[in-house]
Amino acid sequence: MTALPLVDIVGYWIGIFLTFACLSFLYKDNPFYKLAEHLFIGVSVGYLIVLQYTDTVDPKVIEPVFAGKLHGGWLGLRIVALLLVVLMFAKALSARWSWLGRYPLAFVVAFYAGLQVNAVAQSELGEQIKFSAGTIDAVKVDLNTADPDAITALPGSSPLVAQKLVTERAARPFTSLDDAATRPSLTALERADLADARGGVIGLDARAAVTPGQHDPFGIVSNVLLLLGLLASLVYFYFSVAHTGVIGGVSRFGVGVLMIGFGASFGLTVQGRISLAIGRAYDVLGRTLAPADAERVHGPVVAVICIALIAGGIVAWERRRRGKPGDDGPGAGDQS
Amino acid sequence: MSAPHWSERLQRFDRRWIFLVMAVAVVVPLFLPLGLPVKPDRMTKAAYNAVEALPEGARVFVSVDLDPAATPEIEPYYRAVILQLKRKHARLVFATTWYQAPPLLERYLRETVEVAIAPAGTEGYSGLPDRPYRKHVDYVNLGFREGKSAIIQAFGSDLRGAFDNQADDGTPLDRIPMMDGITRLSDFDLVVLVSAGSPGAKEYVQFVGTRYKLPMVAACTAVSTTDLAPYVQTGQLLGLVGGMAGAAGYESLVGKPGAGTTGADVLNIGNLVVIAAIIFGNVVFFAGRRHRRRGGRP
Repeated sequence: MTALPLVDIVGYWIGIFLTFACLSFLYKDNPFYKLAEHLFIGVSVGYLIVLQYTDTVDPKVIEPVFAGKLHGGWLGLRIVALLLVVLMFAKALSARWSWLGRYPLAFVVAFYAGLQVNAVAQSELGEQIKFSAGTIDAVKVDLNTADPDAITALPGSSPLVAQKLVTERAARPFTSLDDAATRPSLTALERADLADARGGVIGLDARAAVTPGQHDPFGIVSNVLLLLGLLASLVYFYFSVAHTGVIGGVSRFGVGVLMIGFGASFGLTVQGRISLAIGRAYDVLGRTLAPADAERVHGPVVAVICIALIAGGIVAWERRRRGKPGDDGPGAGDQS
Repeated sequence: MSAPHWSERLQRFDRRWIFLVMAVAVVVPLFLPLGLPVKPDRMTKAAYNAVEALPEGARVFVSVDLDPAATPEIEPYYRAVILQLKRKHARLVFATTWYQAPPLLERYLRETVEVAIAPAGTEGYSGLPDRPYRKHVDYVNLGFREGKSAIIQAFGSDLRGAFDNQADDGTPLDRIPMMDGITRLSDFDLVVLVSAGSPGAKEYVQFVGTRYKLPMVAACTAVSTTDLAPYVQTGQLLGLVGGMAGAAGYESLVGKPGAGTTGADVLNIGNLVVIAAIIFGNVVFFAGRRHRRRGGRP
């Protein structure tokens, strides 16, 4: 493996510096944070403009129009596209002609609205309603007759396990779940996976059986809860009737369901933010690099230098500010 | 004048102390790993099973729609699923709809596709070894296309047209044998979505997945998991790997622990800190309210 080039090492150093420059905002808004913020926006916009030009505008519009590669209707379409792009600038360049800028915006809004209506209706409404409107009865998967896909979906199963169980049942039908989960063709690991997944409420025992027509009581309760939760949440957003009495009770239940949903989202958002912190810690400590490269980057040492540099810089900046007349004093713009 | 109640003093508590505790909770386990067990959830296992069920040499479309900010959460999944696909000798076609992704994708191709991720003898790995893939023989990088949901729709009807019939390096797709017979997304055996947001897994489901009945699996950031999970229930996605915790579970299934597994350790400690902060905040709030109701100072 080739060693990390010097430019990449310097890139890591800049990354570490900018990480701590951003974190310095926890003290208060300061020049280091501003530098990182402006650099981020500047680099992002610069990169986006160059990429859009080289990847889209040049090959899709400029080259076909000016190099004579297209003729007739296709050329006309590209010219219309170019015209719409030019009209976008009308708002910024002239107050008199700014109304022309509405045409490209109207085109984009109408185009995406048309796309969304069809796609969302089909995938969100159609498929979700079809699923939600299914029977509330949850029938267990019969291991002696079910197809491999249904067996694969069971807790503790896998495509390979399903395949083996289908072969096993052809030789000798299963008499119990214990019998199915301990057949000789299953490896020790597969048996352990199936044993781990056993359980009468949400485990293998709840979802699978060896005779047809068995029901999964927890699955039925879940389906009923889904239906009630869905209806109660809709009632909460139905404002044509006063939310009192029975309607008020149903509405409060709906709020509870919505809160559980928001709680799940919030919990996962927190997880995502912690993951970001882990990612930065990995980069600063050189954990994302090969050991030889990490030694060349010296992440922890660079981190200490950057912290010292930023802390020293902020102290100097504060002293200078305090010396100026009309200063807000210490703690101005404090984020606590 | 009496001293303020303890709950009032704590309500003015500087929240930056919590940030400091969180920073310590994130950094310390990196040096002192706890080795907490990682257990894949049902959706993660379903995603793994969908890839595992592919035939040898299957054709797989991989859409890498992410930016650097999402890499801690999603990159571990990407590395694990690419190893799993290479073990099955899948032929891979890469693309992206995110303008921030091309430099990342190029790095990923160098680090995970063009070299073996787990060659024979890799320490701590007992699965089948993978091999380096050759450009335009085993994999093709179509690159980036602007257009968001509109371009995803174009992938569904005319993939070649969407990329002007050429790979990212300008090679005509007609000259690449592994692209024979591939004109649209439905020609692939599986679509793998490495998705950090919009456009991504949601748009693929909305614009092409449901319409063309595509077999798709997705990995997303933790925050998107609740948005995408209903698609797994309805079968619009075959499986979903949510955030770093999901990626850690996926690594355990593939058999090669990586950044997701070590990160999950830290994540667990971080979650404990958040839970402790929530309990602390509630205790202070309710104690303050009780004090005020008993006639204490507002």
